[in-house]
Amino acid sequence: MRPRGHTATTLLVLVCLGAGLAVLQGFVGGGLPIHFGASLVAQVSGMAAGYGAAVMLILMSRAPWLEHGVGAHRLVRWHAWGAPPVIILTVVHAVAAVVAWALAKSIDLVAAIKGVLDLPGLITALIGTVILVLIGVASLRAVRRRISYERWHLLHLLTYLAVGLGFAHQLAGPDLVGRRWLQIAWALLYCYAFALVLRWRVFQPAFQLWRHRLRVEDVRHEAKDVMSVVMSGQHLDELRAEPGQFFRWRFLTRRTWRSAYPFSLSAPPTRHGLRITIKAQGDGTRQLFDIPSGTLVFAEGPYGVITRRRRRRPRVLLIAGGVGITPMRSLFEGIGLPGKDITLVYRASREQDLVLKHELDEIAERSGARVVYLVGPSSDAANDMSAHALNRIVGDLGDHDVYLCASPRLASRVRDSLMDDGFPRHQLHEERFSF
Amino acid sequence: MSDAALDYRRRIPRIARLSVTASPTLIRWTLRIVTVMLFGTATAIGVNLGIGAPEVSPTSVVNHDRVASP
Repeated sequence: MRPRGHTATTLLVLVCLGAGLAVLQGFVGGGLPIHFGASLVAQVSGMAAGYGAAVMLILMSRAPWLEHGVGAHRLVRWHAWGAPPVIILTVVHAVAAVVAWALAKSIDLVAAIKGVLDLPGLITALIGTVILVLIGVASLRAVRRRISYERWHLLHLLTYLAVGLGFAHQLAGPDLVGRRWLQIAWALLYCYAFALVLRWRVFQPAFQLWRHRLRVEDVRHEAKDVMSVVMSGQHLDELRAEPGQFFRWRFLTRRTWRSAYPFSLSAPPTRHGLRITIKAQGDGTRQLFDIPSGTLVFAEGPYGVITRRRRRRPRVLLIAGGVGITPMRSLFEGIGLPGKDITLVYRASREQDLVLKHELDEIAERSGARVVYLVGPSSDAANDMSAHALNRIVGDLGDHDVYLCASPRLASRVRDSLMDDGFPRHQLHEERFSF
Repeated sequence: MSDAALDYRRRIPRIARLSVTASPTLIRWTLRIVTVMLFGTATAIGVNLGIGAPEVSPTSVVNHDRVASP
């Protein structure tokens, strides 16, 4: 398997190169010599925003070469970094274009707005911009905290409509007009972006539903606010899912079909069954507790790179915090090493928060693997999860691959401590989730 | 029955039964062909859109040799 870092770097270089070309075209598209002013701002920001919107679509297309090559959490991070500038550039483009129009026609701004909106494709572009701004506002941390994941997710889906509406006027922009090959390349960029989304976000899960007929077999209570969903289906081996991976699950009931939730497999997948373990984190996830048996499941995946294929060292240390145990539970059983080479460190605030403990104990007893529970307040020295403490638990930490899945705070503390201690970055594997 | 939107106890239609009997190889090749067709269609649409795009920008104005673009 090709190292993930190389794919990510290659993609990043290509994206930056494309952005550079788009901006350059924005500069020279209006002809030489370049005159600085509102029209130049409009052209450059328009080209950059148009290019950025297509890149954002591609990053979120769930194409396997992206998900496996770059990693889901990194893609989400890139998307989170890239989307705000795209929205800001779109707004800058709109404002600068109106100002440029007013200056060119020697009219006031109100008349310029009216004049601009009379042009072909500009009403739809305005609607697209408004939708993008609304999505941007809903994604601000302060606002995001106040709305449910399900509403935010639904609103986010309108991005496709917004980008599509904006595309209508792009090919007629002065930066591309008169340059046939550029217009074709631009149209292809958008068509491929939408084709990727269609292929991997719509067709693939629909196909998997048809082929595997995945459905809920049982919902089991595990602990307070935690339950496992056992699913059965056909030909599940063809999914090639591995312990440590996750899917985005959409349970097809009237109340829950609108939202797709990323949950890890909490047991090694088999030919006929998959299992996930869920902690209620809001009204949406709580609704999943009432899913009836027989509900069909629309599953996107498998995704995630914290699999046994990432292992390079002879031993592994699995670190889990809270419900982050789910992929670790799966890896604990399915990582394919002798038990003596596997250690699982499981951190929880209270004894009753230790999810799947009986299974972990059973696997440890059967395989000879070691499981260490760190329960209680983090201020307790016995619950120290620094690199030094982990080294004390496993012996030679440098001889281990570390797999990590915990809350963002705990994960960051462990990661920082390991990095500060000089632990090699390529031996640390983690998947980060957040709604 | 519960609020399960799709009830698995209903008789499986013929198209769905195909999903059980089709061999993995057939499925793999079908997916490949679908992917090629999808991107072929995307290419055709993209090239068509590019070729059919305006040669003169309706959204530009010329003012002192400058082009303004909404």
